[in-house]
Amino acid sequence: MKIKIKLLYILVSALIVSTAIMNACKTPEAISSKSGAQLWGENCNRCHNAPDPSTYGDDQWEVIVEHMRQKALLTDTEIAKVLDFMKTANKQ
Amino acid sequence: MKKLLLTSFGFFVTLCSLSAQQLDSTSQTPGTKKFFMPGAAVAMYQLNSTSGSPAIGSFMPVNLALFPLVKASDRLFLDAGLNFSVNPDGTVTPSLIELIAYYRINHWMSVFAGNFSPHYGVYLGLLDDYTNRFGVGVPPVGMGHGLQNENGVGIQGGVQAGYSKFTYQLYIANGPQLTVDSTTVGSSNQSGKLDYGSILDNNKNKSIGWHLGYLPFSNSCLELTFSGEYVGKTGPAGSALENVSALSWAVGLNYYHIFNPIMVRVIGEYDKIQVGNANYYNPDTSLKNHVYTFSNQQNGWFAGATLRAAGSRRQFLKNLELGGRVGEYTPPTGALWGSTPINQTTVALTEYVKWDIPVTLEYDILTQSGAPKQNILSAIIFFRF
Repeated sequence: MKIKIKLLYILVSALIVSTAIMNACKTPEAISSKSGAQLWGENCNRCHNAPDPSTYGDDQWEVIVEHMRQKALLTDTEIAKVLDFMKTANKQ
Repeated sequence: MKKLLLTSFGFFVTLCSLSAQQLDSTSQTPGTKKFFMPGAAVAMYQLNSTSGSPAIGSFMPVNLALFPLVKASDRLFLDAGLNFSVNPDGTVTPSLIELIAYYRINHWMSVFAGNFSPHYGVYLGLLDDYTNRFGVGVPPVGMGHGLQNENGVGIQGGVQAGYSKFTYQLYIANGPQLTVDSTTVGSSNQSGKLDYGSILDNNKNKSIGWHLGYLPFSNSCLELTFSGEYVGKTGPAGSALENVSALSWAVGLNYYHIFNPIMVRVIGEYDKIQVGNANYYNPDTSLKNHVYTFSNQQNGWFAGATLRAAGSRRQFLKNLELGGRVGEYTPPTGALWGSTPINQTTVALTEYVKWDIPVTLEYDILTQSGAPKQNILSAIIFFRF
């Protein structure tokens, strides 16, 4: 039980410390200025082929992107930009 | 220690609340409920040649899966999966893949509850269905014997930290249950194995699982992961085996890069399961002493790479991917179900008819000391819809 509590404490502490560090880090311009198209290519290809935006409609993309937020643990910014790109590009 | 733990949790919850307020001030009004149900079907032809036996080929409709996804609001999401696998006798067995409810607390954290597949090692989703670049004909021996689906609650998310990115998952679940079999004779006796996914816990103890992913490069091309699960008790409550603990951990690597015109991908994992020592009962009547114990440790690893002419002007070549993988699984030698290490070599050639419809030709060689060599050729079509 002691090992378990220690382990949990270490994990929670690590999470808190890393969170504090991450919050202190300012996102560089090169990251914050990335387009939805760029993030779509980079993040989708991590695990699978990047789908063509025309594959699905707006409502379907909303659900799929939310699904990928949880599966690939994408950040809020990535999700927002990729969704915006998909909903724009699927009409072109 | 408990006070420290409570203080930590308090601080943590406060941080979450502050971030949630930030989210409220910027988020849009809740969206309407949206439902989408993609699916997948797998069929294959497999030719199995075992040394000393005639080669046997079979056409196999493997399974059909449906994934109901519901976005109930901007924060609430339901992710489910149902599988219908085809048995050798042609009957169909339905099973649950996942059933998870997510609630997004803030920009970098979601809380989840339900039946979920932990982010363990190289996440199973990377080697699942259409994401598997080595074919699904023969599962990699170096993984899949560790953590499986769990029932529990947890938190997870992703955060940008400068040019790098972190992903994390932390959960509490029912945990695995120790298999105790006092009646089966021979290698079918599974005593000492861990059984995952039970919806009814066998004791009061819960398991703690974690995943930490680090993506050092700004284009997310490399992900290094460290994940695991610890449970203090795996045996039935009140039994002599109740306090048998188990620790599973894994490190994983996933890297891809386009060295124009070739895209290179490297995937690897090492995982280990350590179960506490215990005395088991062997019912074999030919033995004088039926009680036995063994070092209950098993490990596995695999490493694979793929090449793809992603920059080619020819569509067929652009969608063609060549993969190679080696791996090993070492079960505990003293267990009745144990054996000598199993080695696997895989070569796979995949043509993506669509981005999510791969047709794969996979060749596997399985070798094991004291067992006949197996050569398995699989032709697989994976159809995502």
